[in-house]
Amino acid sequence: MTEMPKRSKTDSQITKRLCEIVGEKNATDMKHIRYAYSYDLSFVMPKLPDYVVMPTNVEQVQEVMKFANQEKISVTPFTAGTNIGGLCIPENGGILLDMKRMNRIIRIDEESHYAIIEPGVSHAQFASALAKYKLRFSWPVGPPSASTSSCSISHGIGGLSGRYGLNSEEITSMEVVLPTGELVRVGSCAIQEDAWHSCLPLPRVDGLFTGWLGTTGVVTKIGLRVHPMPPILKVFTASTENIGHMASYLRTLGNYEICDDLTGVSWWLSQVPIPYPYKPKPSDVPEWISFATTFSWTEKEKQAREEIWKMVVDEETKKGSSLKETEYPEEALRARTQLPSQIVGSTKNYTKQGGAGISWPGTFTPVNKWEPVYEEWKKILMARNLSPSVRVTNYRGVHYGMLRAMIPFPKKDPASIENARQAIVECLKVDLDNGGIPYKPPVDFGLEINKRAHPGYIELLKRVKQMLDPNDIMNTGKLAL
Amino acid sequence: MKWDIPSLEELEDAVWKCTACGNCKTAYDFGPPPTYGEICPAGVEYGFDGNMASKGKIAFARGILDGQLEWTQEFVDDIYRCTICGGCQNQCELDHKPVIPEIIEAMRRKAVSDGVGPMPSQKVIAQSMRSYNNPYQGPRRVRTDWTRPFKKAKKPIKNIMKENAPILFYVGCTGAFNLPVRNFPVATASIFQKLGLDFGILGENEICCGSTAMRLGDVDEFKRVAEANMKTFKDLHDNHGVETIVTSCAGCFRAIKKDYSLSDEYEDHLGGLKVIHTTEFLFNYFKEGKMEFTRELPWKVTYHDPCHTGRHLIQFDVDEDGSRQWKGSYMGKNEETCLYDIPREMIRAIPGIDFVEMERIRSNSYCCGGGGGVMTGYGDWAAKNAGLRVQEALDTGAKQMISICPFCHFNLNEGSKRIKSNMKVYDLVELIDMVL
Ligand SMILES: Cc1cc2nc3c(=O)[nH]c(=O)nc-3n(C[C@H](O)[C@H](O)[C@H](O)COP(=O)(O)OP(=O)(O)OC[C@H]3O[C@@H](n4cnc5c(N)ncnc54)[C@H](O)[C@@H]3O)c2cc1C
Ligand code: SF4
Ligand code: SF4
Repeated sequence: MTEMPKRSKTDSQITKRLCEIVGEKNATDMKHIRYAYSYDLSFVMPKLPDYVVMPTNVEQVQEVMKFANQEKISVTPFTAGTNIGGLCIPENGGILLDMKRMNRIIRIDEESHYAIIEPGVSHAQFASALAKYKLRFSWPVGPPSASTSSCSISHGIGGLSGRYGLNSEEITSMEVVLPTGELVRVGSCAIQEDAWHSCLPLPRVDGLFTGWLGTTGVVTKIGLRVHPMPPILKVFTASTENIGHMASYLRTLGNYEICDDLTGVSWWLSQVPIPYPYKPKPSDVPEWISFATTFSWTEKEKQAREEIWKMVVDEETKKGSSLKETEYPEEALRARTQLPSQIVGSTKNYTKQGGAGISWPGTFTPVNKWEPVYEEWKKILMARNLSPSVRVTNYRGVHYGMLRAMIPFPKKDPASIENARQAIVECLKVDLDNGGIPYKPPVDFGLEINKRAHPGYIELLKRVKQMLDPNDIMNTGKLAL
Repeated sequence: MKWDIPSLEELEDAVWKCTACGNCKTAYDFGPPPTYGEICPAGVEYGFDGNMASKGKIAFARGILDGQLEWTQEFVDDIYRCTICGGCQNQCELDHKPVIPEIIEAMRRKAVSDGVGPMPSQKVIAQSMRSYNNPYQGPRRVRTDWTRPFKKAKKPIKNIMKENAPILFYVGCTGAFNLPVRNFPVATASIFQKLGLDFGILGENEICCGSTAMRLGDVDEFKRVAEANMKTFKDLHDNHGVETIVTSCAGCFRAIKKDYSLSDEYEDHLGGLKVIHTTEFLFNYFKEGKMEFTRELPWKVTYHDPCHTGRHLIQFDVDEDGSRQWKGSYMGKNEETCLYDIPREMIRAIPGIDFVEMERIRSNSYCCGGGGGVMTGYGDWAAKNAGLRVQEALDTGAKQMISICPFCHFNLNEGSKRIKSNMKVYDLVELIDMVL
């Protein structure tokens, strides 16, 4: 048996203390265990944590944070690590705080339509529990084994975002352990222990913990709005020859606010899997294809939606659009409408050909900028032999929109990873310059965002971060400040 | 004989197909309604991502291949803390899916060849295999102890080396040596006799199929017994009239059917023989109306799908030459060969039986926790995990749990005792013998 390889930063006294807090079986500094947390599917360079800790209750989380703060050890919260941005890869080593063992569904309030869950609850677990009450959530088109809480605090989106907006907008209350170990609550549960129904009308301090990439506190419970599940699904599928016509169609249909999900995808993204390397689109197929998911309670309601959809098609046709009713590829449609999705979750439609790697320029970009940004992205990606596998989605009617390119690449080959990274960062710059904002940004993106940011905004971020995390221990370095 | 058993290095391309998406961590099905369940016994017990599902095991493989991970006692331990149940494999959709268990076993083979595996308690198995030709340290003569009641009743079972017969009942070491499951071969032989079949056993000449050795990464030992068995089977076919090998052990069945096929002489040695699990064998009689269940059994039962007769028999469709998608692309799976419906159909046909299903069944069955050398290496954990499965069975309201694998049977019984439940575990052959 060979000796354990020399470790750079692990300290057996620290491991011992962590074991005292969470139990022998739930804390370790063994390299093979740390190694499994050192990478994800993105282009972000692997980095090892020094310890892995799996708390099972709130008190343990508090103790870990107090200890880490006292010893100035970095802490990276983790639930499944599927964020596609290297957000759980510890920039500064330290403790990887794996929250998967806190996975209780504490309450499903079937009358007031909200639920209280712990961060380790997966979409799959939550979906099957909610289905018993004929309720649903805005499931992301991602791995069913990933965390609903982490999706929500990271401004994730899902199959109901066309109607209700981001999943962070569904948060009704939170319990959070601060980087210094104190327990706080935000939303109604802060005033009455048992009331988890709403963040409003209190000051929106829940914003201190959403979109911060796990740098301001550890969420230990979250209240989330859930929604009834109407029985009749109707998906409208249409194609256009170009992004301009697609954007116009999505905007017009979005105006009527009848869709739960209103998405357009480029031909490359509609393929299962995305072609890697780039493959030209056959000339006889349209470049854009879309699905508009609607749910109705009655046949009549469905018919009314059909009537509206036909009106929209007429309206667009009159404008000279290339819009056509089209069959969406069967497996791709299932992948996007049967949520949570096994097909997308397994990354089959994204990386099966590319080989283990995916990253994205994932952004919120106003609908009127989709066309110029997409045309630029196409040039950048094709020049690097990557497919322009782009998605556009309306949120909350037409209020804002997502523009994202899902880029697969072989993780085995460093040159291919770098090729994809450079292409993606280049795409991102174009988008930022057009007013788009990336979500779940890896550090490479953070740097580009901060370069462009108003100095007052950066100063405010720093002050808030300093107030909550005086020793800068939480997910150190991820904000690229 | 030449064997095509891949090394970890030969599987490197497959290892690099894993995205670390974690889809393999839970068994989820859209439905509707959606269903969800834990699928990885190792993940349930040990919890860290490295321990969890193929995501974790492939991380280990990747770490070994990229030179980041060296053997430590704990690392080897974690490689053996896996039942090789294939539950994770069933969730994955990428090109390495068909070889996920092979990647895990290849790491074990590497551990063995590097002199660090298997775990100390499992080394006893390896030693026993070398000394006794079985993993239970059972002396040769004990192998036929289970046949005594037949001798007493003057219905002796043929020794196939001495008297020809078209059917070889390959008993397997667990049924022969493991006392609590010895009723297995008894029930099987009793049914065969009731059906008037002409069959025989190898008796004291039977040796282990090699399944446990293979699962533990002891490839030399596997090859030794596999080659000996293949020669014996060929001889039985060529010189003793054997046409069919029936086995009631899921592990033996998988080994003879699947692991032996990695030999370049498989066709030559086993080509003329039909290898069949007792359950399927009996089902053919049942279907043809030659086996009727006459007695009532007013039991409320549930059924546990063993990994070895279930998802381990899934056939994967791979684009071998790149003509359909690209070379090595995983195209889909075929579950027709898995023994899912057959046992259920027979259970349901027993008069008086009330059959209820657990939540995790068929390809998403939750492993009992006994496979992959875990029962020997980590008996306590194996029983604890079996307790979880028994609890799932109890939750259905069933009073008896049926399976078709002596390993599952033994381990589930241990689990039942551990959680102090009254759940009784039976093999399907025991039930059939009762109602024939
Ligand atoms: C193929 C694929 C498709 C995807 N599609 C979508 C999609 O459509 N919509 C979408 O929103 N996402 C999508 N994702 C991203 C991701 O799967 C989801 O957002 C997921 O729910 C995140 O959960 P996780 O457990 O993986 O979070 P992690 O990656 O573990 O964590 C995400 C962030 O939250 C922080 N964090 C984790 N736990 C805590 C805690 N308790 N307290 C504070 N901070 C914490 C982490 O440090 C990290 O910064 C996709 C991913 C993949 C691989
Ligand atoms: S083994 Fe398959 S399902 Fe599991 S993490 Fe890897 S790619 Fe995903
Ligand atoms: S084979 Fe079974 S025990 Fe092993 S990692 Fe996969 S699911 Fe877990």
